[in-house]
Amino acid sequence: MDSWLRFSAQSQARERLFRATQYACTLLGYALQKGGAADELRKTVSQLEAHMSLTRKLLRLGNSVEALESAKRAIHLSDSVLRLCLTISHLNRAMYFACDNVLWAGKTGLISKLDQHKWSQRSFRYYLFALILNLTRDVYELRLLMESEVRYRAAKSPPSPYPSTTLPIDPLSSSSATPALPAMSVWLHRQFNLIVTVLYSNPPLLLDLLKNGCDIFIPLDRLRIYPTGQGFVGACGLASSVLSILTIVHPWLKLKP
Amino acid sequence: MDTVVKFTSISQGKDRVFSATQFACALSTHLLRSNSQRKELVAKLKIVEANISAGRKLLKLGNAVNSVEAAKRSLRLSDRVLCLCLTAANINRALSLICDNVLWARSVGLIRDINQKSWSLTSSRCYFLAVIMNVTRDLYVVLQLMMQKAKDKDFKQKMSLHLSENPEVAEVVIPQLDAFLFLLFESLKSHPAVALDTLKNVCDLFSPLDRLGIYPSNAGVVAFCGLVSSLIGIVTIAKPTLNIKP
Repeated sequence: MDSWLRFSAQSQARERLFRATQYACTLLGYALQKGGAADELRKTVSQLEAHMSLTRKLLRLGNSVEALESAKRAIHLSDSVLRLCLTISHLNRAMYFACDNVLWAGKTGLISKLDQHKWSQRSFRYYLFALILNLTRDVYELRLLMESEVRYRAAKSPPSPYPSTTLPIDPLSSSSATPALPAMSVWLHRQFNLIVTVLYSNPPLLLDLLKNGCDIFIPLDRLRIYPTGQGFVGACGLASSVLSILTIVHPWLKLKP
Repeated sequence: MDTVVKFTSISQGKDRVFSATQFACALSTHLLRSNSQRKELVAKLKIVEANISAGRKLLKLGNAVNSVEAAKRSLRLSDRVLCLCLTAANINRALSLICDNVLWARSVGLIRDINQKSWSLTSSRCYFLAVIMNVTRDLYVVLQLMMQKAKDKDFKQKMSLHLSENPEVAEVVIPQLDAFLFLLFESLKSHPAVALDTLKNVCDLFSPLDRLGIYPSNAGVVAFCGLVSSLIGIVTIAKPTLNIKP
């Protein structure tokens, strides 16, 4: 009960819960359509989804200011790549929220002659840029951690003087045609192992990477760059909302800064 | 700007801001209703009010738990009257919120066959009882403060000074009333949290009184009282020292 109180006291936490419900409705709507369920049930689900979406837009009315404040804070970061990525990401989010507010005014009828499709596309474009920058930051952090892991491993066990002789030679591969292929596959295997180790020991980075990875399919579908369909979008949205609820419930899982 | 961000990230704060906006729109609509030139503005204000009201109903989902927890906490108070008043107020508030949640589910279409009117009446009745309990608690606290102040030596000096220097006829004719009012105002001045809470609860009374038909007033009065109550709520969140305890 205590954890629910702490949870609901944070506005962001409730917003995430509504987002999860909204995308669950999207996924449910798709499943009901595929399963050929009753019209009335589908109507109820789509009505609930529209209601959640509009209310979330209402709740987001002040978020541009928050995003600008985050951008101001991100300017003071020491690492230049992080500084660039985070500042521009927050600025894009601020623009996304501003477009979203205009869309809310248009949907409710405050602004009568609004080209909703144009503004919707605009907002999704800013959202996509913000997500791309977040993913860039995740990949950069991953790269840094991989390099430090390699250095740590090298420091722990001194490297052998003839590293090329330790490579296992595949007896089935033709020695003359592609001598580089086994070396390539071993290198890939080693890199993959390294990535898995780094991500396993850094759950915040893993969660953030997964979250941004799931989120990116939503604007990609809406902007028709990589259409995936309602069901996949709903599943991705639901997964990313659940992951972000996890980071709120367990604050140590949040990637800093 | 920092305080704006800090404020909007607190859920209760956001709800109060929305509530203040909703009542401000309702008040403006009421004041402009006969003005034929502002018909478009009135229509837009009505749209904003309806949307914010619908959004706030969604935000209320789960608030009943908060009220139940507050009731559990208030059971442990030592003062019997405070314990009774606050527990009863919190339980009634929880019941009112549960009715509101059921009404929301009906409005979205999740539940179909319920008597909307009876649930709405129950919600108003529970809310009315909760506000009455809060007003009772405020009166009790004010009386306690007044009794405390009356025993204070410094105040007794102030009181005798005030009574002797006042030349106005009405107050001289009813010196007890004058003394009582002076004591009341001095107590409230020294405890602004209690004064604000009393004012907020009295304003909160008008909305259920109107809905239940006990004391029908017009939409303008209800909107104005709602606006004052929301503004006081915003002030108590922005300055936590002005929040009445417990």
